[in-house]
Amino acid sequence: MTCACDSDRTAVMFENVTAALGGTVILEGVTARVPLGSCTAIVGPNGAGKTTMLLALLGEVPFTGGIRIPPSDEGRALRIGYVPQRLQFDRAMPLTVMEFMVMGWQRRPLWFGVARRYRERARQLLACVKLEGLERRKIGALSGGEMQRVLLALALGREPDLLVMDEPASGVDFQGEHIFCELLDVLRREQGFTQLMVSHDLPTVTHHATHVICLNRKVAAEGPPREVLTAENLTAIFGLHMGLVDSSALPDGKSSCSSACCTGRDGHA
Amino acid sequence: MPELTAVYDLIARLLPFECMQMRFMQQALTGLLLLAPMVALMGVHVVNFRMAFFADAISHSAFAGVALGLILTVSPRWTMPVFGLLVGLAIVAAQRRSALSTDTVIGVFFSGAVAFGLAVVSRESSAARDIQRFLYGDILTITADDIRAMLALLAGLTVFQVYGYNRMLYIGLSPSVAKAHGVRAAAYQYIYAGLLSCVVIFSVQAVGVLLVTAMLIVPAAAARNFARSAGAMMWWALLVSTTSTIAGLLISAQEWARTATGACVILAAFSWFMLSWAFACMRCRAPGSRQ
Repeated sequence: MTCACDSDRTAVMFENVTAALGGTVILEGVTARVPLGSCTAIVGPNGAGKTTMLLALLGEVPFTGGIRIPPSDEGRALRIGYVPQRLQFDRAMPLTVMEFMVMGWQRRPLWFGVARRYRERARQLLACVKLEGLERRKIGALSGGEMQRVLLALALGREPDLLVMDEPASGVDFQGEHIFCELLDVLRREQGFTQLMVSHDLPTVTHHATHVICLNRKVAAEGPPREVLTAENLTAIFGLHMGLVDSSALPDGKSSCSSACCTGRDGHA
Repeated sequence: MPELTAVYDLIARLLPFECMQMRFMQQALTGLLLLAPMVALMGVHVVNFRMAFFADAISHSAFAGVALGLILTVSPRWTMPVFGLLVGLAIVAAQRRSALSTDTVIGVFFSGAVAFGLAVVSRESSAARDIQRFLYGDILTITADDIRAMLALLAGLTVFQVYGYNRMLYIGLSPSVAKAHGVRAAAYQYIYAGLLSCVVIFSVQAVGVLLVTAMLIVPAAAARNFARSAGAMMWWALLVSTTSTIAGLLISAQEWARTATGACVILAAFSWFMLSWAFACMRCRAPGSRQ
Protein backbone atom coordinates (compact mmCIF):
# COMPACT_ATOMS: atom_id res chain seq x y z
CA MET A 1 0.00 0.00 0.00
CA THR A 2 1.39 3.36 -0.97
CA CYS A 3 1.79 6.08 1.56
CA ALA A 4 -0.85 8.71 1.26
CA CYS A 5 0.89 11.47 3.17
CA ASP A 6 0.34 15.00 1.99
CA SER A 7 -2.65 13.93 0.00
CA ASP A 8 -4.88 16.71 -1.21
CA ARG A 9 -7.83 15.05 0.44
CA THR A 10 -8.86 16.08 3.90
CA ALA A 11 -9.70 13.86 6.87
CA VAL A 12 -10.61 16.67 9.27
CA MET A 13 -10.99 20.38 8.64
CA PHE A 14 -11.00 22.81 11.57
CA GLU A 15 -12.68 26.02 10.45
CA ASN A 16 -12.34 29.07 12.63
CA VAL A 17 -12.72 27.06 15.84
CA THR A 18 -12.92 29.12 19.01
CA ALA A 19 -13.28 27.54 22.44
CA ALA A 20 -13.39 29.12 25.88
CA LEU A 21 -13.47 27.50 29.30
CA GLY A 22 -14.55 29.54 32.30
CA GLY A 23 -14.05 32.83 30.48
CA THR A 24 -10.53 32.03 29.27
CA VAL A 25 -10.12 31.76 25.53
CA ILE A 26 -8.22 28.55 24.86
CA LEU A 27 -8.55 28.32 21.09
CA GLU A 28 -8.92 31.42 18.97
CA GLY A 29 -10.04 31.15 15.37
CA VAL A 30 -8.19 27.93 14.71
CA THR A 31 -8.25 26.92 11.07
CA ALA A 32 -6.23 23.83 10.26
CA ARG A 33 -6.34 20.76 8.06
CA VAL A 34 -5.59 17.13 8.75
CA PRO A 35 -4.72 15.50 5.41
CA LEU A 36 -6.19 12.08 4.72
CA GLY A 37 -3.78 9.25 5.54
CA SER A 38 -1.31 11.57 7.20
CA CYS A 39 0.36 11.44 10.56
CA THR A 40 -0.52 14.90 11.78
CA ALA A 41 1.03 16.25 14.96
CA ILE A 42 -0.19 19.21 16.98
CA VAL A 43 2.75 20.83 18.77
CA GLY A 44 2.90 23.81 21.05
CA PRO A 45 3.79 24.91 24.57
CA ASN A 46 1.79 24.04 27.69
CA GLY A 47 -1.59 25.74 27.70
CA ALA A 48 -1.56 26.19 23.94
CA GLY A 49 -4.90 24.38 23.59
CA LYS A 50 -3.58 21.18 22.02
CA THR A 51 -5.70 18.83 24.07
CA THR A 52 -8.70 21.17 23.79
CA MET A 53 -8.42 20.95 20.02
CA LEU A 54 -8.70 17.16 20.22
CA LEU A 55 -11.55 17.35 22.73
CA ALA A 56 -13.42 19.75 20.45
CA LEU A 57 -13.05 17.21 17.67
CA LEU A 58 -14.41 14.48 19.96
CA GLY A 59 -17.33 16.68 21.01
CA GLU A 60 -16.18 16.92 24.63
CA VAL A 61 -15.87 20.71 24.83
CA PRO A 62 -18.22 23.36 23.42
CA PHE A 63 -16.84 25.56 20.64
CA THR A 64 -17.89 27.97 17.92
CA GLY A 65 -16.86 27.58 14.32
CA GLY A 66 -16.92 24.28 12.49
CA ILE A 67 -15.14 20.96 12.45
CA ARG A 68 -15.81 19.23 9.16
CA ILE A 69 -15.25 15.49 8.92
CA PRO A 70 -15.98 14.29 5.38
CA PRO A 71 -17.57 10.81 5.29
CA SER A 72 -15.43 7.89 4.25
CA ASP A 73 -15.40 6.46 0.74
CA GLU A 74 -18.14 3.99 1.62
CA GLY A 75 -20.26 6.94 2.71
CA ARG A 76 -20.57 5.97 6.37
CA ALA A 77 -19.68 8.29 9.24
CA LEU A 78 -16.02 8.39 10.14
CA ARG A 79 -15.01 5.92 12.84
CA ILE A 80 -12.75 7.40 15.47
CA GLY A 81 -10.31 5.57 17.71
CA TYR A 82 -9.17 7.55 20.73
CA VAL A 83 -6.08 6.99 22.86
CA PRO A 84 -6.11 9.32 25.90
CA GLN A 85 -3.02 10.75 27.50
CA ARG A 86 -3.39 8.60 30.55
CA LEU A 87 -6.23 6.55 31.92
CA GLN A 88 -7.05 7.42 35.52
CA PHE A 89 -8.48 4.33 37.08
CA ASP A 90 -8.48 2.32 40.25
CA ARG A 91 -5.52 -0.05 39.94
CA ALA A 92 -7.01 -2.58 42.35
CA MET A 93 -10.03 -3.09 40.11
CA PRO A 94 -10.38 -6.69 38.98
CA LEU A 95 -10.58 -6.24 35.22
CA THR A 96 -8.46 -8.38 32.94
CA VAL A 97 -6.89 -7.13 29.72
CA MET A 98 -9.16 -9.52 27.83
CA GLU A 99 -12.28 -8.07 29.46
CA PHE A 100 -11.00 -4.56 28.84
CA MET A 101 -10.60 -5.31 25.14
CA VAL A 102 -14.03 -6.84 24.60
CA MET A 103 -16.21 -4.65 26.82
CA GLY A 104 -16.98 -2.37 23.89
CA TRP A 105 -17.90 -5.17 21.45
CA GLN A 106 -19.63 -7.82 23.48
CA ARG A 107 -23.18 -7.16 24.55
CA ARG A 108 -23.54 -10.31 26.67
CA PRO A 109 -22.47 -9.36 30.19
CA LEU A 110 -18.96 -10.38 31.18
CA TRP A 111 -20.30 -12.58 34.01
CA PHE A 112 -21.12 -15.13 31.34
CA GLY A 113 -17.58 -15.05 29.97
CA VAL A 114 -16.12 -13.83 26.72
CA ALA A 115 -17.37 -15.27 23.43
CA ARG A 116 -14.78 -17.15 21.42
CA ARG A 117 -14.85 -14.88 18.37
CA TYR A 118 -14.20 -11.79 20.51
CA ARG A 119 -11.48 -13.65 22.37
CA GLU A 120 -9.76 -14.40 19.07
CA ARG A 121 -10.06 -10.84 17.88
CA ALA A 122 -8.69 -9.42 21.13
CA ARG A 123 -5.71 -11.79 20.87
CA GLN A 124 -5.02 -10.59 17.32
CA LEU A 125 -5.15 -6.95 18.35
CA LEU A 126 -2.90 -7.53 21.34
CA ALA A 127 -0.43 -9.32 19.07
CA CYS A 128 -0.63 -6.30 16.79
CA VAL A 129 0.70 -4.07 19.58
CA LYS A 130 3.23 -6.71 20.69
CA LEU A 131 1.45 -7.72 23.87
CA GLU A 132 0.90 -11.42 23.28
CA GLY A 133 0.01 -13.46 26.31
CA LEU A 134 -1.14 -10.63 28.53
CA GLU A 135 -4.88 -11.37 28.23
CA ARG A 136 -5.25 -12.69 31.75
CA ARG A 137 -3.25 -9.93 33.42
CA LYS A 138 -5.24 -7.38 35.43
CA ILE A 139 -5.07 -3.96 33.83
CA GLY A 140 -3.90 -2.51 37.16
CA ALA A 141 -0.77 -4.66 36.94
CA LEU A 142 0.31 -3.27 33.56
CA SER A 143 3.22 -0.87 33.25
CA GLY A 144 2.63 2.61 31.81
CA GLY A 145 3.94 1.62 28.39
CA GLU A 146 1.93 -1.60 28.32
CA MET A 147 -1.23 0.28 29.31
CA GLN A 148 -0.74 2.77 26.46
CA ARG A 149 -0.37 -0.11 24.02
CA VAL A 150 -3.51 -1.79 25.38
CA LEU A 151 -5.35 1.50 24.89
CA LEU A 152 -4.00 1.62 21.35
CA ALA A 153 -5.23 -1.93 20.75
CA LEU A 154 -8.64 -0.92 22.10
CA ALA A 155 -8.77 2.02 19.69
CA LEU A 156 -7.59 -0.17 16.78
CA GLY A 157 -10.41 -2.57 17.60
CA ARG A 158 -12.77 0.09 16.29
CA GLU A 159 -11.10 -0.27 12.88
CA PRO A 160 -10.72 3.50 12.93
CA ASP A 161 -10.55 5.81 9.95
CA LEU A 162 -9.10 8.41 12.26
CA LEU A 163 -6.88 7.63 15.22
CA VAL A 164 -6.80 10.48 17.73
CA MET A 165 -4.04 10.38 20.34
CA ASP A 166 -3.27 12.76 23.17
CA GLU A 167 0.43 12.44 23.97
CA PRO A 168 0.22 8.70 23.45
CA ALA A 169 3.71 8.08 24.74
CA SER A 170 3.73 10.34 27.78
CA GLY A 171 5.09 8.54 30.78
CA VAL A 172 6.92 6.10 28.54
CA ASP A 173 10.69 6.25 28.40
CA PHE A 174 12.47 7.34 25.24
CA GLN A 175 13.04 3.80 24.02
CA GLY A 176 9.42 2.91 24.68
CA GLU A 177 8.19 5.99 22.88
CA HIS A 178 10.31 5.19 19.87
CA ILE A 179 8.92 1.66 19.70
CA PHE A 180 5.41 3.03 20.11
CA CYS A 181 5.80 5.43 17.18
CA GLU A 182 7.45 2.87 14.92
CA LEU A 183 4.58 0.52 15.67
CA LEU A 184 2.10 3.23 14.73
CA ASP A 185 3.89 3.98 11.48
CA VAL A 186 3.67 0.33 10.47
CA LEU A 187 0.01 0.04 11.49
CA ARG A 188 -0.93 3.23 9.70
CA ARG A 189 0.56 1.96 6.48
CA GLU A 190 -1.12 -1.43 6.86
CA GLN A 191 -4.56 -0.17 7.80
CA GLY A 192 -4.53 3.18 6.03
CA PHE A 193 -5.98 5.33 8.82
CA THR A 194 -5.29 8.97 9.46
CA GLN A 195 -3.40 9.71 12.63
CA LEU A 196 -3.84 12.89 14.62
CA MET A 197 -1.76 13.31 17.73
CA VAL A 198 -0.72 15.86 20.28
CA SER A 199 2.93 15.74 21.14
CA HIS A 200 5.36 17.54 23.37
CA ASP A 201 8.30 15.81 21.98
CA LEU A 202 9.72 17.60 18.95
CA PRO A 203 12.29 14.96 17.96
CA THR A 204 9.51 12.38 17.79
CA VAL A 205 7.40 14.72 15.71
CA THR A 206 10.19 15.44 13.25
CA HIS A 207 10.78 11.71 12.87
CA HIS A 208 7.25 10.48 12.51
CA ALA A 209 4.85 13.25 11.54
CA THR A 210 4.05 14.04 7.94
CA HIS A 211 2.08 17.16 8.75
CA VAL A 212 2.50 19.53 11.67
CA ILE A 213 0.16 22.07 13.22
CA CYS A 214 1.97 24.55 15.46
CA LEU A 215 -0.52 25.82 17.98
CA ASN A 216 -0.40 28.56 20.54
CA ARG A 217 -4.08 29.38 20.96
CA LYS A 218 -3.94 30.29 17.27
CA VAL A 219 -2.35 28.34 14.50
CA ALA A 220 1.18 29.74 14.19
CA ALA A 221 2.25 27.56 11.30
CA GLU A 222 1.06 24.49 9.46
CA GLY A 223 2.63 22.16 6.93
CA PRO A 224 5.28 19.47 6.49
CA PRO A 225 7.66 19.24 9.47
CA ARG A 226 10.70 20.40 7.50
CA GLU A 227 9.00 23.64 6.53
CA VAL A 228 7.23 24.27 9.80
CA LEU A 229 9.69 23.28 12.50
CA THR A 230 12.20 25.99 11.72
CA ALA A 231 14.20 27.83 14.32
CA GLU A 232 12.22 31.05 13.77
CA ASN A 233 8.85 29.34 14.10
CA LEU A 234 9.85 27.44 17.21
CA THR A 235 11.23 30.54 18.85
CA ALA A 236 8.00 32.33 18.05
CA ILE A 237 5.84 29.58 19.58
CA PHE A 238 7.88 28.33 22.48
CA GLY A 239 9.46 31.66 23.32
CA LEU A 240 12.99 30.37 23.36
CA HIS A 241 15.23 28.81 20.79
CA MET A 242 14.92 25.06 20.69
CA GLY A 243 18.36 24.18 19.37
CA LEU A 244 17.45 20.52 19.55
CA VAL A 245 15.28 20.69 16.50
CA ASP A 246 17.16 23.06 14.33
CA SER A 247 16.19 22.19 10.78
CA SER A 248 19.75 21.08 10.10
CA ALA A 249 19.33 18.46 12.83
CA LEU A 250 16.55 16.72 10.96
CA PRO A 251 17.35 13.18 9.98
CA ASP A 252 18.90 13.23 6.53
CA GLY A 253 19.29 10.04 4.66
CA LYS A 254 18.66 6.92 6.67
CA SER A 255 17.27 7.73 10.05
CA SER A 256 16.21 5.36 12.78
CA CYS A 257 12.64 5.93 11.65
CA SER A 258 11.63 3.20 9.26
CA SER A 259 8.37 4.78 8.18
CA ALA A 260 7.83 5.05 4.46
CA CYS A 261 6.41 8.50 5.04
CA CYS A 262 9.54 9.61 6.79
CA THR A 263 12.11 8.04 4.51
CA GLY A 264 10.03 8.70 1.42
CA ARG A 265 9.95 12.39 2.22
CA ASP A 266 13.66 12.47 2.70
CA GLY A 267 14.07 11.10 -0.80
CA HIS A 268 12.49 14.04 -2.60
CA ALA A 269 12.82 16.82 -0.11
CA MET B 1 -51.30 -12.36 46.12
CA PRO B 2 -51.34 -16.15 45.80
CA GLU B 3 -47.88 -16.32 44.21
CA LEU B 4 -46.30 -14.49 47.15
CA THR B 5 -47.95 -16.85 49.59
CA ALA B 6 -46.34 -19.73 47.75
CA VAL B 7 -42.97 -18.05 48.15
CA TYR B 8 -43.55 -17.56 51.86
CA ASP B 9 -44.51 -21.19 52.33
CA LEU B 10 -41.41 -22.26 50.45
CA ILE B 11 -39.25 -20.13 52.72
CA ALA B 12 -40.87 -21.66 55.79
CA ARG B 13 -40.10 -25.13 54.46
CA LEU B 14 -36.54 -24.39 53.33
CA LEU B 15 -35.57 -22.64 56.56
CA PRO B 16 -37.18 -24.74 59.29
CA PHE B 17 -36.32 -22.35 62.08
CA GLU B 18 -38.94 -21.43 64.59
CA CYS B 19 -38.65 -17.73 63.79
CA MET B 20 -39.14 -18.31 60.05
CA GLN B 21 -42.66 -19.69 60.59
CA MET B 22 -43.96 -16.16 61.18
CA ARG B 23 -45.45 -14.39 58.19
CA PHE B 24 -43.68 -11.07 58.80
CA MET B 25 -40.34 -12.87 58.92
CA GLN B 26 -41.12 -14.62 55.66
CA GLN B 27 -42.02 -11.28 54.11
CA ALA B 28 -38.85 -9.71 55.46
CA LEU B 29 -36.70 -12.45 54.01
CA THR B 30 -38.45 -12.16 50.64
CA GLY B 31 -37.73 -8.44 50.63
CA LEU B 32 -34.10 -8.95 51.57
CA LEU B 33 -33.66 -11.67 48.96
CA LEU B 34 -34.96 -9.26 46.33
CA LEU B 35 -32.71 -6.51 47.58
CA ALA B 36 -29.56 -8.68 47.69
CA PRO B 37 -29.05 -9.10 43.92
CA MET B 38 -29.88 -5.45 43.34
CA VAL B 39 -27.27 -4.14 45.78
CA ALA B 40 -24.76 -6.69 44.43
CA LEU B 41 -25.22 -5.61 40.81
CA MET B 42 -25.27 -1.91 41.51
CA GLY B 43 -22.56 -2.14 44.16
CA VAL B 44 -20.01 -3.50 41.68
CA HIS B 45 -20.16 -0.21 39.78
CA VAL B 46 -20.38 1.87 42.94
CA VAL B 47 -17.14 0.35 44.24
CA ASN B 48 -15.24 0.27 40.97
CA PHE B 49 -16.08 3.85 40.17
CA ARG B 50 -16.01 5.31 43.66
CA MET B 51 -19.61 6.38 43.81
CA ALA B 52 -20.07 5.68 47.51
CA PHE B 53 -20.61 9.35 48.20
CA PHE B 54 -23.31 9.46 45.53
CA ALA B 55 -25.14 6.63 47.29
CA ASP B 56 -24.76 8.49 50.58
CA ALA B 57 -26.32 11.62 49.13
CA ILE B 58 -29.30 9.70 47.77
CA SER B 59 -29.90 7.92 51.05
CA HIS B 60 -29.89 11.18 52.96
CA SER B 61 -32.25 12.72 50.44
CA ALA B 62 -34.71 10.09 51.62
CA PHE B 63 -34.86 12.21 54.75
CA ALA B 64 -36.00 15.19 52.71
CA GLY B 65 -38.44 12.82 51.00
CA VAL B 66 -40.02 12.01 54.34
CA ALA B 67 -40.25 15.72 55.11
CA LEU B 68 -41.86 16.41 51.77
CA GLY B 69 -44.41 13.72 52.52
CA LEU B 70 -45.27 15.51 55.77
CA ILE B 71 -45.81 18.82 53.98
CA LEU B 72 -47.87 17.39 51.16
CA THR B 73 -49.60 14.90 53.48
CA VAL B 74 -48.63 12.11 51.13
CA SER B 75 -47.25 8.80 52.37
CA PRO B 76 -43.43 8.86 52.55
CA ARG B 77 -43.64 5.57 50.68
CA TRP B 78 -44.24 7.68 47.56
CA THR B 79 -42.34 10.87 48.28
CA MET B 80 -39.11 9.09 49.27
CA PRO B 81 -38.47 7.26 46.00
CA VAL B 82 -39.65 10.16 43.84
CA PHE B 83 -37.49 12.68 45.67
CA GLY B 84 -34.48 10.33 45.73
CA LEU B 85 -34.83 9.78 42.00
CA LEU B 86 -34.96 13.53 41.35
CA VAL B 87 -31.87 14.17 43.47
CA GLY B 88 -29.97 11.36 41.73
CA LEU B 89 -30.78 12.66 38.25
CA ALA B 90 -30.04 16.24 39.30
CA ILE B 91 -26.59 15.23 40.55
CA VAL B 92 -25.76 13.55 37.24
CA ALA B 93 -27.04 16.53 35.26
CA ALA B 94 -25.02 18.98 37.37
CA GLN B 95 -21.94 16.80 37.14
CA ARG B 96 -22.11 16.70 33.37
CA ARG B 97 -22.44 20.46 33.02
CA SER B 98 -20.47 21.85 35.91
CA ALA B 99 -16.74 22.41 36.14
CA LEU B 100 -16.88 21.62 39.86
CA SER B 101 -15.50 18.29 41.02
CA THR B 102 -17.90 15.41 41.54
CA ASP B 103 -17.43 15.42 45.30
CA THR B 104 -18.31 19.08 45.55
CA VAL B 105 -21.40 18.77 43.38
CA ILE B 106 -22.66 15.84 45.44
CA GLY B 107 -21.78 17.54 48.72
CA VAL B 108 -23.83 20.57 47.78
CA PHE B 109 -26.93 18.54 46.89
CA PHE B 110 -26.45 16.30 49.90
CA SER B 111 -26.40 19.15 52.41
CA GLY B 112 -29.29 20.93 50.69
CA ALA B 113 -31.48 17.85 50.93
CA VAL B 114 -30.59 17.11 54.56
CA ALA B 115 -31.09 20.72 55.65
CA PHE B 116 -34.50 20.80 54.00
CA GLY B 117 -35.47 17.58 55.75
CA LEU B 118 -34.29 18.83 59.13
CA ALA B 119 -36.06 22.16 58.71
CA VAL B 120 -39.41 20.54 58.00
CA VAL B 121 -39.12 17.75 60.53
CA SER B 122 -38.08 20.14 63.31
CA ARG B 123 -41.52 21.77 63.01
CA GLU B 124 -43.40 18.49 63.43
CA SER B 125 -43.04 16.65 66.70
CA SER B 126 -45.08 13.76 65.32
CA ALA B 127 -42.36 12.99 62.81
CA ALA B 128 -40.08 11.42 65.42
CA ARG B 129 -41.32 7.91 64.64
CA ASP B 130 -40.57 8.34 60.96
CA ILE B 131 -37.08 9.54 61.83
CA GLN B 132 -36.45 6.42 63.87
CA ARG B 133 -37.43 4.22 60.95
CA PHE B 134 -35.36 6.35 58.65
CA LEU B 135 -32.23 6.00 60.76
CA TYR B 136 -32.36 2.27 61.55
CA GLY B 137 -34.58 0.88 58.85
CA ASP B 138 -37.38 -1.58 59.48
CA ILE B 139 -37.45 -4.56 57.19
CA LEU B 140 -39.90 -6.39 59.47
CA THR B 141 -42.70 -3.98 58.57
CA ILE B 142 -42.27 -4.47 54.83
CA THR B 143 -45.60 -4.84 53.05
CA ALA B 144 -46.72 -6.92 50.12
CA ASP B 145 -46.87 -3.71 48.05
CA ASP B 146 -43.23 -3.00 48.82
CA ILE B 147 -42.33 -6.49 47.71
CA ARG B 148 -44.23 -6.07 44.47
CA ALA B 149 -42.50 -2.76 43.80
CA MET B 150 -39.12 -4.38 44.50
CA LEU B 151 -39.94 -7.21 42.09
CA ALA B 152 -40.62 -4.68 39.36
CA LEU B 153 -37.41 -2.80 40.17
CA LEU B 154 -35.38 -6.01 40.15
CA ALA B 155 -36.79 -6.89 36.74
CA GLY B 156 -35.91 -3.47 35.28
CA LEU B 157 -32.49 -3.52 36.86
CA THR B 158 -31.69 -6.98 35.56
CA VAL B 159 -32.61 -5.95 32.03
CA PHE B 160 -30.40 -2.88 32.31
CA GLN B 161 -27.43 -4.79 33.71
CA VAL B 162 -27.66 -7.62 31.19
CA TYR B 163 -27.79 -5.04 28.41
CA GLY B 164 -25.33 -2.56 29.84
CA TYR B 165 -22.92 -4.17 32.33
CA ASN B 166 -19.99 -4.12 29.89
CA ARG B 167 -20.77 -0.62 28.66
CA MET B 168 -21.01 0.61 32.25
CA LEU B 169 -17.49 -0.71 32.87
CA TYR B 170 -16.35 1.09 29.75
CA ILE B 171 -17.91 4.41 30.79
CA GLY B 172 -16.62 4.02 34.33
CA LEU B 173 -13.06 3.61 33.10
CA SER B 174 -13.18 6.59 30.79
CA PRO B 175 -16.33 8.39 29.67
CA SER B 176 -14.46 10.23 26.92
CA VAL B 177 -12.92 7.09 25.40
CA ALA B 178 -16.25 5.27 25.62
CA LYS B 179 -18.00 8.17 23.92
CA ALA B 180 -15.38 8.50 21.19
CA HIS B 181 -15.82 4.78 20.58
CA GLY B 182 -19.53 5.08 20.07
CA VAL B 183 -21.04 4.35 23.51
CA ARG B 184 -23.99 6.56 24.44
CA ALA B 185 -22.52 7.48 27.80
CA ALA B 186 -25.13 10.04 28.84
CA ALA B 187 -28.06 7.65 28.49
CA TYR B 188 -26.31 4.95 30.53
CA GLN B 189 -25.28 7.42 33.22
CA TYR B 190 -28.83 8.73 33.69
CA ILE B 191 -30.45 5.31 33.71
CA TYR B 192 -27.85 3.98 36.13
CA ALA B 193 -28.27 6.94 38.49
CA GLY B 194 -32.05 6.54 38.38
CA LEU B 195 -31.93 2.83 39.16
CA LEU B 196 -29.32 3.34 41.86
CA SER B 197 -31.52 5.98 43.49
CA CYS B 198 -34.44 3.55 43.64
CA VAL B 199 -32.26 0.76 45.05
CA VAL B 200 -30.86 3.10 47.69
CA ILE B 201 -34.33 4.20 48.77
CA PHE B 202 -35.48 0.61 49.18
CA SER B 203 -32.31 -0.15 51.09
CA VAL B 204 -33.05 2.74 53.45
CA GLN B 205 -36.28 0.99 54.37
CA ALA B 206 -34.39 -2.25 54.96
CA VAL B 207 -31.23 -1.24 56.82
CA GLY B 208 -31.64 2.46 57.57
CA VAL B 209 -29.79 5.49 56.33
CA LEU B 210 -26.75 4.92 58.51
CA LEU B 211 -25.99 1.60 56.88
CA VAL B 212 -27.33 1.96 53.36
CA THR B 213 -23.99 2.73 51.75
CA ALA B 214 -22.51 -0.29 53.50
CA MET B 215 -25.21 -2.43 51.90
CA LEU B 216 -23.93 -1.37 48.48
CA ILE B 217 -20.20 -1.31 49.01
CA VAL B 218 -19.36 -4.05 51.50
CA PRO B 219 -20.45 -7.05 49.36
CA ALA B 220 -18.82 -5.51 46.28
CA ALA B 221 -15.64 -4.67 48.18
CA ALA B 222 -15.40 -8.25 49.43
CA ALA B 223 -16.09 -9.50 45.90
CA ARG B 224 -13.29 -7.37 44.59
CA ASN B 225 -10.82 -9.09 46.88
CA PHE B 226 -11.99 -12.54 45.85
CA ALA B 227 -12.41 -11.99 42.11
CA ARG B 228 -9.76 -12.10 39.43
CA SER B 229 -11.96 -10.61 36.72
CA ALA B 230 -14.82 -8.14 36.34
CA GLY B 231 -17.14 -10.99 35.39
CA ALA B 232 -16.32 -13.04 38.49
CA MET B 233 -16.71 -9.97 40.69
CA MET B 234 -20.44 -9.88 40.02
CA TRP B 235 -20.91 -13.52 41.10
CA TRP B 236 -18.91 -13.00 44.29
CA ALA B 237 -20.89 -9.87 45.14
CA LEU B 238 -24.12 -11.83 44.61
CA LEU B 239 -22.92 -14.65 46.87
CA VAL B 240 -21.81 -12.29 49.64
CA SER B 241 -24.93 -10.12 49.62
CA THR B 242 -27.38 -13.04 49.49
CA THR B 243 -25.74 -15.05 52.26
CA SER B 244 -25.31 -11.93 54.39
CA THR B 245 -28.99 -10.99 54.20
CA ILE B 246 -30.15 -14.50 55.12
CA ALA B 247 -27.63 -14.84 57.94
CA GLY B 248 -28.34 -11.32 59.21
CA LEU B 249 -32.10 -11.85 59.39
CA LEU B 250 -31.78 -15.25 61.11
CA ILE B 251 -29.29 -13.97 63.68
CA SER B 252 -31.32 -10.86 64.47
CA ALA B 253 -34.36 -13.04 65.30
CA GLN B 254 -32.55 -15.34 67.72
CA GLU B 255 -33.47 -15.12 71.37
CA TRP B 256 -29.89 -14.42 72.45
CA ALA B 257 -29.39 -11.69 69.85
CA ARG B 258 -32.59 -9.67 69.41
CA THR B 259 -30.75 -7.01 67.42
CA ALA B 260 -31.68 -4.74 64.52
CA THR B 261 -31.85 -6.72 61.27
CA GLY B 262 -30.03 -4.14 59.17
CA ALA B 263 -27.07 -4.06 61.51
CA CYS B 264 -26.83 -7.85 61.53
CA VAL B 265 -26.91 -8.02 57.74
CA ILE B 266 -24.06 -5.53 57.47
CA LEU B 267 -22.07 -7.34 60.18
CA ALA B 268 -22.40 -10.58 58.25
CA ALA B 269 -21.21 -8.83 55.08
CA PHE B 270 -18.38 -7.26 57.03
CA SER B 271 -17.26 -10.71 58.19
CA TRP B 272 -17.17 -11.75 54.55
CA PHE B 273 -15.05 -8.73 53.81
CA MET B 274 -12.51 -9.56 56.51
CA LEU B 275 -12.31 -13.08 55.12
CA SER B 276 -11.77 -11.73 51.61
CA TRP B 277 -9.07 -9.44 52.90
CA ALA B 278 -7.18 -12.32 54.45
CA PHE B 279 -7.64 -14.19 51.18
CA ALA B 280 -6.26 -11.27 49.16
CA CYS B 281 -3.28 -10.92 51.48
CA MET B 282 -2.48 -14.59 51.19
CA ARG B 283 -2.71 -14.43 47.41
CA CYS B 284 -0.42 -11.39 47.33
CA ARG B 285 2.24 -13.27 49.27
CA ALA B 286 2.00 -16.36 47.12
CA PRO B 287 5.06 -16.31 44.87
CA GLY B 288 4.77 -15.83 41.15
CA SER B 289 1.26 -14.43 41.04
CA ARG B 290 1.33 -11.00 39.47
CA GLN B 291 -2.41 -10.98 38.97
